[in-house]
Amino acid sequence: MHMDAMKLKKLEKLNQLRLEENEREDILAFFKKAEEDMGIFDSVSTEDVKRMVHVMPMINVIREDVSSQPFTRDQLQAGAPEASDGYWQVPRLVE
Amino acid sequence: MKYETVIGLEVHVELATESKIFCACSAKFGAEQNDHVCPACCGMPGMLPILNKRVVDLGMTAGMMLNCDINRETTFDKKSYYYPDLPCSYQTTQWFAPICVNGAVEIETSKGKKQIRIKQIHMEEDAGKLVHDDWTDTSLVDFNRTSVPLIEIVSQPDISSAEEAIAYLERIRTLLRFARVSDCRWEQGSMRCDVNLSIRPQGSQELGVRTEMKNMNSLSAIARAIDYEISRHIDAVENRAEELVQETRRWDDVKGKSYAMRNKETAGDYRYFPDPNIMPVIIDDEWYDRIKKSLPELPEVKKQRYIEELGLSEYDADQIVQSRAFCDVFEKAYEESRMAKETANWLMSDCMTILNKRQQTTDMLAINGKALGELVKLVAEDKVSRASGKKILAAMFDEDISPLKYAEENGLIMSNDTEGIEKIVREVIEADPKSVSDYKSGKEKALMALFGKCMKQLKGNCSPQVLKEILVDHINRQ
Repeated sequence: MHMDAMKLKKLEKLNQLRLEENEREDILAFFKKAEEDMGIFDSVSTEDVKRMVHVMPMINVIREDVSSQPFTRDQLQAGAPEASDGYWQVPRLVE
Repeated sequence: MKYETVIGLEVHVELATESKIFCACSAKFGAEQNDHVCPACCGMPGMLPILNKRVVDLGMTAGMMLNCDINRETTFDKKSYYYPDLPCSYQTTQWFAPICVNGAVEIETSKGKKQIRIKQIHMEEDAGKLVHDDWTDTSLVDFNRTSVPLIEIVSQPDISSAEEAIAYLERIRTLLRFARVSDCRWEQGSMRCDVNLSIRPQGSQELGVRTEMKNMNSLSAIARAIDYEISRHIDAVENRAEELVQETRRWDDVKGKSYAMRNKETAGDYRYFPDPNIMPVIIDDEWYDRIKKSLPELPEVKKQRYIEELGLSEYDADQIVQSRAFCDVFEKAYEESRMAKETANWLMSDCMTILNKRQQTTDMLAINGKALGELVKLVAEDKVSRASGKKILAAMFDEDISPLKYAEENGLIMSNDTEGIEKIVREVIEADPKSVSDYKSGKEKALMALFGKCMKQLKGNCSPQVLKEILVDHINRQ
């Protein structure tokens, strides 16, 4: 995937960000360099290499279906910037 | 020009687990806001997910019920999603190796039978709920539903009408409820559907512009929305009423219209990447076989067996197989009573009456099947009257009782004391000579009056057949 001004604008919108023009230029320059560096990997043959996602050779880290309630709502909301009537309160997001 | 409709459905189903998919918070519906929340599901830094094994069990069960191949190595991925109802800023889902692929279900509509292919089923977490507060111009967040386990069933675009869509959804719902994967309650949001729709000239292979309607939660709304969208698309293409764009739309069922919400994201927008915190799940033969063996007999197979082996009518069999709980209770009760028709009658009539009074669904039937079989026998063998049987059944809904013991303790066993019955019959006849003479002169109703008086004195605990014989015998002797 190549990052250009259009894609960056779309990402801004998706992430609800507002960037200044100079920030956009910095980000695009960063991506250009990153893409060039990553391009080195294209020269390596990976045809028979299995995708590695996890460094540790672990599988099936699972738990039984048992429910518990170790925390109360008040404990969890004690550090919340805003809470109201048992809800976390956040700036309104309207599409 | 004639057009054909191309519809693909994405069905979200909440799984019937005790706890959430990646933490031990309760997954039950209906708690006070943020009562089922912990640091993991409200996205506090450093918390790691641990997968609930039951979610994988139910994911596999769903796949097997819908004729899918099971991926023996399945992994989880992060889907970037910035909204306060998922506090990690991503949804944990499956993109690269979903648990089930390549399934199909058969549907039947007025046009006949048709196979609808299923592209995949993946496991994922649900999002929380937002309440928008106009007064403070803020959003209030409830994380109870965050991380409740879901499966998403993605169909191929094989559906071509509202009728087919409804048949497909009903079939999926029946199969998943039967396998106890989910209660699939539209009204509680445990089953929801996204409708992807486009039109194209009949016979064309090229797909038209696709729109998506999200989070539909009733069959009637889905049918209306599909019909509306088909008309809107045709109007846009033929009359250029508007420009069709790939977008997500919201259906307003009250106004009967759909509205644009946002441009449709593509897979690239979500920037899926493997979740390094959840290790791959490898399903070995033992695990696979355990789930395979746990699958229920399909409802249509049960129905046929009830008709052919137990002699039930098609109507009775059809009624019972509408609910897995009914089937389970019926089969255990029949094992005890060996009387299929009588057992079915008690279920469909008396049990249904009690469930309706309690505003419960058939899936909530939780009485002891063996005890119901005993009750059916007690009534059939005239040990307990039908009226007393109903009292015993009501008690069975409250606690697990022995019908015989309950009948004995509450004086509901029918009297075999012929002398006692004869004594009451003589007293009733002596006290009501007019009814006796009316009956003798041909008025059948008079006999019923005498019968009723006798039964009242016997408190209903007498075989109607025996009482009638003794009563008629005594009248004829006079």
